[in-house]
Amino acid sequence: MPEASTDILHVGIDLGTSRSAISASNGERFVVDSYVGWPVDMVAKKVLKRNVMIGHEAVANRTMLDLHRPLERGLLKEGSDKDVLAVRELLKHLLALVGVSANGGKVDGSNVRAVVGVPAASLRTNKQYLRNSMKGIVDSLMIVSEPFAVAYALDALLHTMIIDIGAGTSDFCVMKGRYPTEEDQRTLTSAGDSIDTQLLKLIEERYPQANVTVFMVREWKEKYSFVGDAGEKVIVTAPVRGVPTDIDITAEMRAACETLVPPTIETMLDLLSRVEPEFQERVRNNVILSGGGGLIRGLDKTLEDALKQVGGGKVTFMEDPVFIGSDGGLALALDAPDTDWEKLSA
Amino acid sequence: MRADKIDRVKRRLLKEAVADNLETMQGLPPRTIRGPRRLLRLWLRRAPILLIPITLAGSTWFVASSNAVSSPAVVRASAIPFGPRAPLTHRPVGPATLDPNSPLPPLDPAAFPLSVRRVVLDAGHGGTDPGTVSTSLVSEKDITLDIQKRLAALLASSGFDVVTTRGDDRLIPLRDRARLANTSSGDIFVSIHVNSIRNPERHGVETYYLGATNDPSLTKLAAAENRASGYSLTDMRTLLDRVYADARRDESHRLASVVQDQLFGNLKNIDPGLQNWGVKRAPFIVLVATEMPAVLAEVGCLSNEKEAAMLRKPEYRQEIAAALFQGIRSYSRN
Repeated sequence: MPEASTDILHVGIDLGTSRSAISASNGERFVVDSYVGWPVDMVAKKVLKRNVMIGHEAVANRTMLDLHRPLERGLLKEGSDKDVLAVRELLKHLLALVGVSANGGKVDGSNVRAVVGVPAASLRTNKQYLRNSMKGIVDSLMIVSEPFAVAYALDALLHTMIIDIGAGTSDFCVMKGRYPTEEDQRTLTSAGDSIDTQLLKLIEERYPQANVTVFMVREWKEKYSFVGDAGEKVIVTAPVRGVPTDIDITAEMRAACETLVPPTIETMLDLLSRVEPEFQERVRNNVILSGGGGLIRGLDKTLEDALKQVGGGKVTFMEDPVFIGSDGGLALALDAPDTDWEKLSA
Repeated sequence: MRADKIDRVKRRLLKEAVADNLETMQGLPPRTIRGPRRLLRLWLRRAPILLIPITLAGSTWFVASSNAVSSPAVVRASAIPFGPRAPLTHRPVGPATLDPNSPLPPLDPAAFPLSVRRVVLDAGHGGTDPGTVSTSLVSEKDITLDIQKRLAALLASSGFDVVTTRGDDRLIPLRDRARLANTSSGDIFVSIHVNSIRNPERHGVETYYLGATNDPSLTKLAAAENRASGYSLTDMRTLLDRVYADARRDESHRLASVVQDQLFGNLKNIDPGLQNWGVKRAPFIVLVATEMPAVLAEVGCLSNEKEAAMLRKPEYRQEIAAALFQGIRSYSRN
């Protein structure tokens, strides 16, 4: 890997629907919730003493904020000026965390080269839209598919399938030793958010008196999600008529998480069937689950069971998937020669 | 993989990633669909069309050459005139007949009995663009998507390859829809829409193919559908120049006719009040920018509440899909 120039900061950014991560060449790494909020009125502004709030802080103060989650299904929502503004604020915040500032930081945006991961099936128009939205924030920009960034970070570049299950999308990519083309990749919208929606609905149906929000459901999912055998009961605390009460959501958690299984298996097998026959076995034995969804307990075994119908295979999951996409982006940023970066000015 | 091999692969991938970004910045379509295979497919597909005039020209030249051998004086007289140049009264025949300005007779589609293999289906609107919405809040985008799915299932079960421009509730720019149709090597393109008109009492079905129109209401309708297409005026001019000279318009007309016949024929049995508004020409972007026979079917009318109620029923939407399917199959067989 070439050494980074001292006056240029290289960054890899995983711009996610739920969380966004940044890895920088100065060794800094941060992850934030992909929420941006502006005070709803003067009173809120006075209480919060801030013009804009980002990440967990924005979620915690959401009642006083016009809260935006600008990346729907991993893509910048088109036609919403507020969401474009929110993405810019989110990016500026991520860059500020690693020391980039327009006024007085260690480096300014004119010396930043960024690689940003987006869903595998993003259209060129989506990428161009994101590129336009990032104008003036970084000096040069490269946009790559998120599973490709993951594969690059892991050196899993040949005969490997990456299944990156995020909040907004599940991205599939077969690495064949070439830059993935449309036929090597798939994107599903069955992902973390769709589990949240389903789980919330099921809990509300079973416990109509309980007062549950999507934020609570998301937290429970991240702690207890599973498919197949439960192992132990999932008991959580939620206010029922205002009284904190323990409720059993084991069946609901399983049902919600298992909604992900059929489309994931179907897509995995479909992509496998398109691999040249002599390489299929190697790909089957190199399936890598990444993203938060990859941590769903039992999902790796369920996918392995499904692979048995086509000859068997091995599925591994990333135990710490938070920075794998941004680390891959950083590796790409550092490996790209100066001459290429000059062509990719934002 | 060995470390040096990994480095080599990484360098290649990086180069391709940079190239992909540069192409995005230039607004080019993805590499996969501009690659050699695509060019080969395009060449193979168009080869018969190119071969016919070349063969005709070649045979004419061959006949002329034979004549030239038998009567050399004619050639000498016309090819090497002595003295002052006299106006030519006889044009030499031979390779000169390849003059691009000389009109060729129109090609008869019957010369190409090609079957329809891949059908591109386009569910109108989607995402933040609901299309027309009935007073009972039925959205065009939902109806078109559902009919598209039903039609896709019918076509797939009959052995057609089906490509859809959207599979869920999302907004795909019209330019991208057309690009997808072109790059997926579709044989025909069918765009599904639902109408809305001022008079809530009337309702009917109509099918469009590409052409100029003098009807201001159709110009207005096309303008509404073409909003946010992403094409510049110059792009449009180029597209239109190309399209109007294209023989595929005749095929589009034929496809529109059979689709309209099936739509009206089938649906009037369920809804006797349904009107046949026929086959029409209009410059909808998806019809302009697609490179294969293309039609846009207005399969119902959401401004009529009775029909909106029917469109809400899955059985009626299945009937519409079946009618479109029969139209496509009929076109394919003939």
